[in-house]
Amino acid sequence: MKKMKTWKQRQNRNGYLFMLPWIIGFAIFTAFPFAATIVLSFMNVNSTILGFELSFAGMSNYITAFFKNTEFLPALAGYLKMAIPYTFVIVVVAFIIAYILEHITKLKGFFRTLYFLPVIIMSGPVMAKLLETKTSDMQAFADDEYLDLFIVDMIASYSRPLAGLVSDTFTQLSTILWFTGIPIVLFINGLQKINPSLYEAAKIDSATNWQILWKITLPIIRPIALIVTVFTIASIGTYDINPVYTLIVKYMANTSGGLGFAATYAWVYTLTVLLLMGLSFLILKEKKTKVKHY
Amino acid sequence: MKRLKISKRALKGTILKITFYLLLVLISFVFLEPILRIVVKTFMTPEDIIDPVVDWVPRSISLNNLKVAFKVLKLPVTLKNSILFSGALAIMQTFCAALTGFALSRYEFAGKRFWFVMILMCFIVPTSVLMIPRLMMFVTVQEAMKFTLIGTPIPQMLMALLGQGVNSTILILIFQNFFNLIPKSLDEAAMIDGAGAFRVFWHIGLKLSLSTVLVVFLFAFVWNWNETYVTGTLLRSGLELLPSKLSLFDSEFENAVSSSGSAFKLNEAYKMAATFISIVPLLLLYSFVQKKFIEGIENTGITGE
Repeated sequence: MKKMKTWKQRQNRNGYLFMLPWIIGFAIFTAFPFAATIVLSFMNVNSTILGFELSFAGMSNYITAFFKNTEFLPALAGYLKMAIPYTFVIVVVAFIIAYILEHITKLKGFFRTLYFLPVIIMSGPVMAKLLETKTSDMQAFADDEYLDLFIVDMIASYSRPLAGLVSDTFTQLSTILWFTGIPIVLFINGLQKINPSLYEAAKIDSATNWQILWKITLPIIRPIALIVTVFTIASIGTYDINPVYTLIVKYMANTSGGLGFAATYAWVYTLTVLLLMGLSFLILKEKKTKVKHY
Repeated sequence: MKRLKISKRALKGTILKITFYLLLVLISFVFLEPILRIVVKTFMTPEDIIDPVVDWVPRSISLNNLKVAFKVLKLPVTLKNSILFSGALAIMQTFCAALTGFALSRYEFAGKRFWFVMILMCFIVPTSVLMIPRLMMFVTVQEAMKFTLIGTPIPQMLMALLGQGVNSTILILIFQNFFNLIPKSLDEAAMIDGAGAFRVFWHIGLKLSLSTVLVVFLFAFVWNWNETYVTGTLLRSGLELLPSKLSLFDSEFENAVSSSGSAFKLNEAYKMAATFISIVPLLLLYSFVQKKFIEGIENTGITGE
């Protein structure tokens, strides 16, 4: 008679049976390439008729990327200059929209549908075409149409680069808002899960809406804000508006020795992205409540 | 005294409401402005495009841009290719996501937490860091087996089938959360009646979650449609797809013009018409099933239950 398997064994066997395709794919197409990119970033890659020729290059790719090449560092700086303000604006705006949508009754579904629309049509080529026409429209008027605004002027008197950043953010507002589609839904979902009796209790203690927002809603929503931030950082990098991304694509197309460089760029870029996510984790992680002693 | 207080409060509420709606409408405009611009410019005549006086409302409507863009994009062919290509990849991705989601929802296997974290990591790691070795791998296999891979949809199909397509993580999460809602007693009943693990998956998992399957398929379809980086690296010009034709529109336009010998000049209107055409299928899809999309994201459960 066949020996019966224990419950645990069966769970293990069936679980791995269903996971198997994903695990194989993960090993071949994600884990291995990830490790390989790190190795490749220390290599010279030559593509010949017989295949790829690898030779150890030491740190030379990195030295070239950071000290000799004039494209990489500006592109990386450009990425940071884009990713940090964009992410900040996306998370804040998405929260505000979600908060408003939670507090109205009529047309709620309509607005939600509308704000989700960009998720469906957003793609590299469409964004590229839009940005192209935007810049050509801009040239017809002025270089920075928002630089004349009073508030931006005020910031400019304090720090010129900061004003440039603010005015850039305004010029790109549509593009930025297009990233809020999924964050809004996540925030609404989180807001709906807050226990209404918390609000009631606060109201009985005569808290104003403003106080409730800061003392109840925001602290509870903090973990979702973290998820949204990480999500935004992950999704923002994959479009042509990201200068590092276009640089990597360019070097990948250059098969004569470009692949090693591309690997170095991709790896440094990934580290930067992960660093940004780690930073947002540090900022948004749940703080331990300090017990005050009176 | 008391009545006055209440009315004051009501007034404050109304003012707040009006501000909210005003804000929402303003934000809607910012959201829609790019789309509106695409639509308006699509129907503008060349004269209106250059004329700085004409900004939003064209003086006369012309369908010429659409016709030209239609031709340059080789529409019937590229549309069919795009639908088939994204559809095939989406089906494969959906299948693998369902299997993985089922495993996570139904079985307590050793290392489950580890694999779950790895699934999340797949979303975080930028694709560009993975593409170079992937490309080299496919090229090497292609050379070794004398079988063309680059320039065919095969590499992407393999990746989709093995759960490494676009945003597979989100698809898995949607499935996992939906399967969690199906009571386990159903599985047990089926197993007592002698159903194997795969039959449970098929008859209880999938058949009860047809609407989830549809949601996941739609997301996978749209994301594969919009994906151009992996496609550009692995498929290249092996298949003529609508989005990649759009990104090459400028040069395609020049080619089409020089081969026909006419004196057309590339302008904004043609580009916008092409962009318009390439998003119309997605807009149509969205207009029919918008609710499903939003529900899908809500069901990822990443906001915690």
